[in-house]
Amino acid sequence: MREITLTINGESYTREVHEHRTLLHFLRDDLGLTGTKEGCGAGECGACTIIMNGAAVNSCLVLAAEANGSVLETIEGAAKDGTLSALQSAFHEHHAVQCGFCTPGMVMSATDLLRRNPNPSRDEIIDGIEGNFCRCTGYEQIIEAILAASKEGKSHA
Amino acid sequence: MLHEFSYVSPSSMDELLTFLEESGERSTVFSGGTDLFVTIRSGLSRPDFVVDLKGVKELGLLTFDPAEGLSIGACVTVNQLIEDTDVLRHYSVLRDAGSELATFQLRNRATVVGNVVTASPCGDMSSPLLCLGARVKLASAGGEREMPLGEFITGVKRTQIAPNEIVRAITVPIDHLDAVGGYKKLKRIKGHDLGVVAVAMITANDVSRFAISSAAPTPVLLPDFPANVEVAEVQKAAQEAISPISDVRCTKEYRSFMVDVFIRRLMEAA
Repeated sequence: MREITLTINGESYTREVHEHRTLLHFLRDDLGLTGTKEGCGAGECGACTIIMNGAAVNSCLVLAAEANGSVLETIEGAAKDGTLSALQSAFHEHHAVQCGFCTPGMVMSATDLLRRNPNPSRDEIIDGIEGNFCRCTGYEQIIEAILAASKEGKSHA
Repeated sequence: MLHEFSYVSPSSMDELLTFLEESGERSTVFSGGTDLFVTIRSGLSRPDFVVDLKGVKELGLLTFDPAEGLSIGACVTVNQLIEDTDVLRHYSVLRDAGSELATFQLRNRATVVGNVVTASPCGDMSSPLLCLGARVKLASAGGEREMPLGEFITGVKRTQIAPNEIVRAITVPIDHLDAVGGYKKLKRIKGHDLGVVAVAMITANDVSRFAISSAAPTPVLLPDFPANVEVAEVQKAAQEAISPISDVRCTKEYRSFMVDVFIRRLMEAA
């Protein structure tokens, strides 16, 4: 076991963790932040995508111990005071959610994409979410939602 | 779930190398973990100690010197490499290949050195690095050694690295600075995928070089050609050098066929 301290969605956490625990399981099982999903557990599907120190990562392939001192953003931090972010609202309006399992990772990837590239082209959006699988929508509504959010220019606040 | 192991995070090269000397085969080093944690999860790897290299600052350095060339430290991620302006300007084939490697999130963690040390026949970085004449710098408590990348990789997931050693950096000389060329990778889908077969090419100083991935147990570097070589001559040499297999992703015949197609396309585009 080792003690780690990290900041998640602006809040500081200090916990004892098993050294073999993944960051994903730490978030879900130790902290109850179950918005971040486990799909493949092997870095393929992107369901576990979070933003770690400003970079999108697959949290299934990061150890909690490694994240000591990190600043994390997860889907739980996207809505503020019960109000959806512009990106989340765009997902809602464009029917970009079906079963919803990929949505948290998809929103975190799209958040990161729009910070790096506030006005992405359609092709840049397709490239930007290539690490996130969706088995329901066929992606079209997700692409439309990200395009709409980028035009509003406030999705990456 | 991962099996129980201890996480070790040395903060200096001495501390790191001493630990590896004492723990030997019980340790596995990592930086991005994008390969290690997949193999641990599937039970293929069961180290007692998982040793994080990221605490050793010098291993995170990516440097370019016009006289010395490029040095890619063990912890330099693929995204760091492909976003680097010197890499873009002087070693564009590394950018071409790196941007084909997995997904954006993975590239934020996956390292260039890790991709080479994993020594998968379908790794994306070894072929372009072979074309550029890259060298591997190894370090252990006993000292340092260096060898050409072509000698370092010895088979499928096999290299010359010893249990007490790390690859400190991969260096790329200035011999092929500003080479033109490219990287063509066959995948089953348009999105991210392991390479089914891939060809890297560079041309500089009237010499053309080709290296092929996923068509033999190790990446294959063809002999140098004059820049005005005929397409058919390169294709003939490639077919003699590769030994593709049929597997779940592709038949050996299709791999051979696509090697010829990629050689032609790369030469036509150069």
